[in-house]
Amino acid sequence: MSAVEISNVTKTFRSVCAIDQLSLSVPLGAVYGFIGPNGSGKSTTMRMIANILYPDSGTISVFGQQRAGTRSGDIGYLPEERGLYRKMRVRDLLEFHGELRGGRNVGTEVNAWLERLGLAHCAERKVETLSKGMSQKIQFIATVVPEPKLLILDEPFSGLDPVSADSIRSAVLEMRGRGCTVILSTHDMGVAETLCDAIFMIFRGRKVLDGTLAAIQASYGSDTIRVAVEGGIAGLGDLPGIEAVKDRGQVQELRMGPDCDPQQVLHTLAARTSISSFAVVKPSLHDIFVRIAGPQPDADIQEVQDA
Amino acid sequence: MHRVLIVARRDYLQTVLSKAFLFGLVLMPLLFGGGFLAIMVANKSGGTKEQRIAIVDRTGVSAATLIQACEQASREGNANSGGMSAAQKFVFEQVAPEADEPAQLLELSDRVRRGGLFMFVDISANALRPPPGATHVIRYYTNATGINLQGIWLPAAINDGLRRVRLEQLGVEPAKVDESLRIIPVERMDLVTRDPATGAVAKSEKSNAAQAELVPFFLAFLLVLVVMAGAAPNLGAVAEDKVQRVFEMLLVSASSFELMMGKVIASLGIALTSSAFYIIGGMFALAGLAMFGAAPLDLLPWFFAFLIVEVAMLSALAVALGSACSSTQDAQQLAFLLFLPVFIPMFTLTPVMQQPNGVFATTMSFIPPFTPIVMLLRQGLPGGVPWWEPWLGLAGAIAYALFIVWAASRIFRIGILSQGKTPKLAELAQWVVRG
Repeated sequence: MSAVEISNVTKTFRSVCAIDQLSLSVPLGAVYGFIGPNGSGKSTTMRMIANILYPDSGTISVFGQQRAGTRSGDIGYLPEERGLYRKMRVRDLLEFHGELRGGRNVGTEVNAWLERLGLAHCAERKVETLSKGMSQKIQFIATVVPEPKLLILDEPFSGLDPVSADSIRSAVLEMRGRGCTVILSTHDMGVAETLCDAIFMIFRGRKVLDGTLAAIQASYGSDTIRVAVEGGIAGLGDLPGIEAVKDRGQVQELRMGPDCDPQQVLHTLAARTSISSFAVVKPSLHDIFVRIAGPQPDADIQEVQDA
Repeated sequence: MHRVLIVARRDYLQTVLSKAFLFGLVLMPLLFGGGFLAIMVANKSGGTKEQRIAIVDRTGVSAATLIQACEQASREGNANSGGMSAAQKFVFEQVAPEADEPAQLLELSDRVRRGGLFMFVDISANALRPPPGATHVIRYYTNATGINLQGIWLPAAINDGLRRVRLEQLGVEPAKVDESLRIIPVERMDLVTRDPATGAVAKSEKSNAAQAELVPFFLAFLLVLVVMAGAAPNLGAVAEDKVQRVFEMLLVSASSFELMMGKVIASLGIALTSSAFYIIGGMFALAGLAMFGAAPLDLLPWFFAFLIVEVAMLSALAVALGSACSSTQDAQQLAFLLFLPVFIPMFTLTPVMQQPNGVFATTMSFIPPFTPIVMLLRQGLPGGVPWWEPWLGLAGAIAYALFIVWAASRIFRIGILSQGKTPKLAELAQWVVRG
């Protein structure tokens, strides 16, 4: 059984189709990364899974149950636009959220999480007195008490300093270790590559990537040559079979066309200039994201199913 | 239901434990009580100043009797005021009439302007036997502003004096004049009732008209205050919570309807807390003044029934309007919609109190948004209303409140997640229809 099963879901707002015939399966216990440009439909998908919005057509099952209109304590949801009751004390606020979702007293868990994220000293302070980073951690705690089976985090690391981001990251991994399924959206491709078991990319309401990082990269093949040459990008024009050249400063990336032979490229380069490094690599998630979402005709967008 | 109560408990405690609520709870009776105290003090202190009234008697025979009658009426007026009306001290002087009447009136008017006189009364020569339909027989001149109490007792006192002069001229002995003109008080009584326990006709009590009208007025006024204190803050609070993005996270735990009903129930709790505080305090105050009999105990169940309906109605409306706002400033602009069901009945209190069973008052009390305030007021006024009217009014108000809650829940569900500009009334209506 999947944690989340989305089948042919469509959602429109007035005349705008936000989600178009989306199908997705999130396995139990996985950390699933949602990526995509702003306005592509990530948050709408998450809101539908969290039962805040309802699809116009199609079905969404969570732990095998279609739950339109019902609420349960199984789902913890951290929205992208965060807000807390500013006049409440931190402990009262967290206990209110926990009791509302779980229907029971969560005082012990609140204490444990405050301790875990280094906020025990803030328990009696009013929310309005906290810094932005502290508030985000408090909101994260409000999302995870009582412990959910499915955790939906919309941009959980945005605006956090590296130390705070690391503490949330390790907390997410800890939740997964306890069997919790995690869905998170991010614009940080590094986070998606290192934290997520699988990645789903949505673009203009349609699924364009879905699978593990390795599988996604494999579907694109080893189509990139990463080189460091004397003279930099100036000496990389008109190479045989190369479709695009990207200057990354100390190194340059050459994207190979379908009939490109890397040996021939190496030969040509060696004849032109001095080469300090030359490697045939798979494209990074960042590259793949840009290839899909960058400026290009719609016809170039191809869905990669279970790559 | 459990989640509704959790939301209600949070909102209720957050409000009643705030300094603003506690401060307001204590401050309101102090403001009103202080207001009455200030009036009494002002009246008493204002009365210490001597006020001079000149009387120009053109009949040539009435001045002494008139002044005597006026002095007596002034003393009795002060004694009967109970300290609430102006306890003024009046001194009367007789001014001989002059041939040039306009010049004399001007000179006396100047004395009033300079402060030497409070007023002067001009009694024409034919005042003792004016022709039928005559006007301008007795006139008084003053520049005093405000409620003119002299306008109430002075005409009666002057006429009393003139009657005495006429009787003396007819040869009635002075001792018999007093007896002839003695005023017999006319007392207002409560209606006679039958004792339900014994079946005997119960003795009627003396009715205090002022008290009979003041008590229902204060009860209706208390209903307005408590309803506004309980329901109105939802408008700004929900708008602010929406701006602060509080709701989205809550929506995964509770439905929009549960969130809204939690806020409505919290408002009911706040209103009931405030009203219980004031009513219990009022009972103690009446008991302390030995006026416990004036407490409208029979109206209290109706007060609470109408309170619950009115608060449910207005708090649901406030929550809905607040959710539709994109800023707290917009909430202030929409506040008039919330206040209309309360302010319109308040503006009609005077005609309702004058004719509580007239067509206007009866109609107003059956318009559901106005029912709680107007019906409660009519019930409390002398004469009351037919027994079925409050029940019918309450049923209509409950039905209307249920409709408002339903419509508000549809607006709230869309409003709390909507972005952009605040919708117009027509768009809100569309939200209600489409859901």
